[in-house]
Parts: sequence; structure tokens; C-alpha cells
Amino acid sequence: MIKFLKYLLASLILFFFLFPIYWLLITAFKHSEEWFSWPPILIPTALTLNNFLGLEGGFYGGMASVVNITPYLRNSVVVATVTALASTVIGAAAAYAISRFKVGGIQLANWIISVRMLPPVASALPLYLIFSRLHLLNTQFVLILAHLVLTAPLSTWILITFFNDIPKELDEAAFVDGASPLSAFFHIILPLSAPGLAAVSTLAFIQSWGEFLLALVLTSNADAQTLPIYLGRYITGFRIAWGPLAAAGLINMVPVILFSLLMQRYLIRGLTFGAVKG
Amino acid sequence: MYLQSRISAIILILPLVLVLVSLTIYPFLNMVYMSFHNYDLAKGGDPKFIGLGNYLAIFKDRLAVSSVEFTAILVVVALPLEMLLGMGIAWLFRNLFGERVIRSLALLPMMVPAVVAGIAWKMLFNYNFGPLNYLLSLFGVPNISWLGDQNFARLGIIIIDLWQWTPFVFLVLYSGLQSMPSELVEAARVDGAGSWAVMRYVELPILAPLIWIVLIIRLIDVLKLFDIIYMVTWGGPGSATHSFSYYIYKVGLSYGWDVGYASALSIVLLVVVVFLVNILMRALRLRALLEL
Repeated sequence: MIKFLKYLLASLILFFFLFPIYWLLITAFKHSEEWFSWPPILIPTALTLNNFLGLEGGFYGGMASVVNITPYLRNSVVVATVTALASTVIGAAAAYAISRFKVGGIQLANWIISVRMLPPVASALPLYLIFSRLHLLNTQFVLILAHLVLTAPLSTWILITFFNDIPKELDEAAFVDGASPLSAFFHIILPLSAPGLAAVSTLAFIQSWGEFLLALVLTSNADAQTLPIYLGRYITGFRIAWGPLAAAGLINMVPVILFSLLMQRYLIRGLTFGAVKG
Repeated sequence: MYLQSRISAIILILPLVLVLVSLTIYPFLNMVYMSFHNYDLAKGGDPKFIGLGNYLAIFKDRLAVSSVEFTAILVVVALPLEMLLGMGIAWLFRNLFGERVIRSLALLPMMVPAVVAGIAWKMLFNYNFGPLNYLLSLFGVPNISWLGDQNFARLGIIIIDLWQWTPFVFLVLYSGLQSMPSELVEAARVDGAGSWAVMRYVELPILAPLIWIVLIIRLIDVLKLFDIIYMVTWGGPGSATHSFSYYIYKVGLSYGWDVGYASALSIVLLVVVVFLVNILMRALRLRALLEL
């Protein structure tokens, strides 16, 4: 009996946590007349791909209010990919220096990770002022730089814990054989920490892909705006086109979900700054 | 050899330090400078030194006070609920499902980008057609204007935060429970401890450092809350759901361009967060973690 109650309670909890995602999923495939209906259609029978193709009409405002998603998707892919790669390269180099040569000691490590925790709204304003003076606003480059501030410290931090797990004897043996610190880094440390590198680049990708505030402040049109900003634009307006909006949301969500399921072991480690070794 | 290592190490760390210094230290100094000046982009003109004027203005600003109030509500209501629910669910789900399945499911809400979560919840909260009001109507509750009423809008934001971040608390504590040395629990059982006593005197004390870390991480995150509010309520109705971060955005970057005042507000937020981060650092036992 207690076992049964436990399962009942567990199902209710799972229902609460999964239903919003389910609702987004089905709305993305619903015909327009089913977006607004009472009672709400919980299990749709007629599914459509039109929300993804921008073909589903019939709501107030018409198709004119649906903006083409392609440029935003492209910006998101470019910004998140470059951020992930740059963050991993910069982070791996710094992590090697800290892990093996203790550069800067505890103070430097402390400062690096503090940066990660600062509220983005506090850096958005000064970054906006600086980049507007440099005439760099509304470019992918600026967004990548701003996202690096969020991702590089975390990448560094996680990679330090990965590098520390590699026995020091390995690089010392290489030094004895005449290798320089740099060649030991490239030929020994990097190949051995491949899972760590994959994990931090995935985490950085996820962060950059979903980042909203900095993108909102630093970009102003389709030249550099990313998917989350595109989603924000739909919300405004007289009547919301739920179907295409949910479809776009799904596109924004799917890569993150896939990546995080693949990387779940390292995710918890990353999100707790290494306190939990998953 | 030593010199060569030193030089290589400095070269390796240089890119990170350059990025962080140019994009955090310099902006920070700029912000401190602005916070002592009257500088409004909408009005134009040069920054004019006004000493502590911006900081003193915060106390007289009704909207600033109300945004602090809502942020405090989030800290006092959402945070403890998340912690308790996360803990409760961790204990409930243990041994109930396979570890991999439950981990994957619990990851979902927290990995949904905040903007997308906002869309999903905005649909759920819809007054006329939302599934939530439908569910309540089955129990005879009349339709609730979730986003149109001050108190319900605040409750709505709290519900979304609970939905998204309780899984985080859960996952961390669940991982902690899974890696708990089983000898300790067995030893306690042999000594006649019931499951309540095992939890209270064996498991909780071992998990305490993790609970502490999660609490501070969540506290820092709650102080940053912005995306969900922007997407779901726009800080409304009125100013009911202005978080402190949202208010800074509004003052400095959207409705107003009062750089000086927004900088002062940001500095206040920074001071609070830096204080919390320092506590977190101690809890993380940084030195041991990094083997420095």
C-alpha cells in the first residue's frame, strides 16, 4: 500500500515537471483552431507540420506577424558554436597553466570562478556603452565576446578538475624525454582529457544557445539576433501565434535537451562547480 | 627549464585573463565611475558628478523598493520550497525508479532555455484557454487571471521557478544519496535505527555540505532572475513582478537610459552577490577541489 502511494505521488510530481514540456510539444504540431479552444485539447488527433513551415494561418493578425526564423537560427548556430570552441580553447590553455604550474594560485582561480557568478544585468549596461563607443553593437562578434565571459570561466574551472585527474608522472616523463610544456600539453594532456573537452564545449554551447539578456541588449536586428530574441518578439503583439511560437521554441530547445542528455554525467559536475563528481 | 615552463604557463593563461579583464574589470570600473554621476542617455549631456546621489535616490524610489520586496519574496518563499521539495523528492524517488531514467527526466525542466520555458508557461497560464485554468475548473474553481492579478502573477513566477529549479536541487541531492557509503546506513540499521533516524542522523549530516552549496547557488541565481519575468509578465501587472535585475534593465536599458542610476543599482546587486559568492567559495572548499 505504501509502495502504491509512493508511486502515485511520484507520478503526480513527474506530471507537474513534464506537462509544460508536453504542452509545448503538442502545441507545436496543432492546427490553428486548436491553439485556442475550450476545453483545451490535451491529446491532439490532427497533427500538422505547418507551424514549422510558417504555413499555418487563420489567427488574427495573419501571417504578416510571423517573421522568418532562418537568420536567427543561423546567428544562434554561429554564435553558440564559436563561443563553445573559443571557450574550450581558452579554458583548456588556462586550466593547464593553473593545474600544472599553479599560475596565480588560489586568488586567480577564485577570481575566475567569481566572474561566472556575477549577475549578467550588471555587465550588460557597461558592455553596451563600451561596444556602442566602438561601433560594434549588433554583430555576432560582440555577442561571442560577451558570451565568452559567461562560459570561459566555467570551462576553465571544470577542466582544472579534469586535468588534475591525469597523473603528473605522465607529463614529467615527457619532460625527461625533452618535450616542452607546450608539446606535453598538446600530445599528452589534451588527448587524455577528450571527454572533459567534449563536456565543457557542450556546456558552453548550451549556455550561449539559451542566453537571453546579453543578446537582447547587444543586438538589434536579424544581423545578429539569436533564437531566444526571436522568440521574445512573438510574445508581443495583439494575439499570439501559439503554434509557430511553440514550434520555434521546440527548435530552440531540442539541441539543448539532446546535448544535455548525452552529457548528463558531467552536467551536474559543471552546474555545481565541480562539487558533485557525477 | 623552470623559466621555460613559467613563460609557457603565462602565455597559456593570457587569453583568458585578457578576455576577462577587458570585459569585466574595465566595465566594472566604468560602472563604479558612472554610479557617482548623473548620466542619462535619453537626456544627453556629459556625466555630472553627484557623489552618493544615485545611491541615496534608491531609498526614495518606490519602484526600486518594490523590486527589492519581490526579490525578497522569491528568496523567502521560492527558495526554501525548492530546497524542501527537492530533498523530499530525492528521498521519495530513491529506489523507486532506475537511476538513469530518473536523471534524464529530471534534467528536462532545468535544461529548457528560460525563454522557451516562459512560452510554455505563458500558454499554461492563459486566462481563457489555458490548461491550468481548465484543470482547476474540473474542481469547480472559477478561471483565475494568472498574469493579470498582482498576487497570482507573483505566485505564477514562483511556480515557474519551482518547476525549473526544484529538479536541480533534486538531482544534486539524489547524486549525493546514490554515492552515500552503504556501510554507514547499514551500521545504523544494525544499531536499531529506523528509516527516519537514519535520515536524520546519518544521511542529512553527510549531505549537509551539498545542501549548503545548492542553497547558495540557487540564492545567487534567484537574485539574477530576469528571463522568465521578461517573457511571462513583463514585470507586471503594474510593477508587481519586477525583480531587482528586471528593474535595473528597465531603468538602464529599455524604458529609461539612466546610466548613472542603473549603475548604482547594479553596484548594490553586485555587492550582495559578491558577498554570497565568497560564502560559496568557502563552502566549495576551493583549495581542496583544485588541489592548489
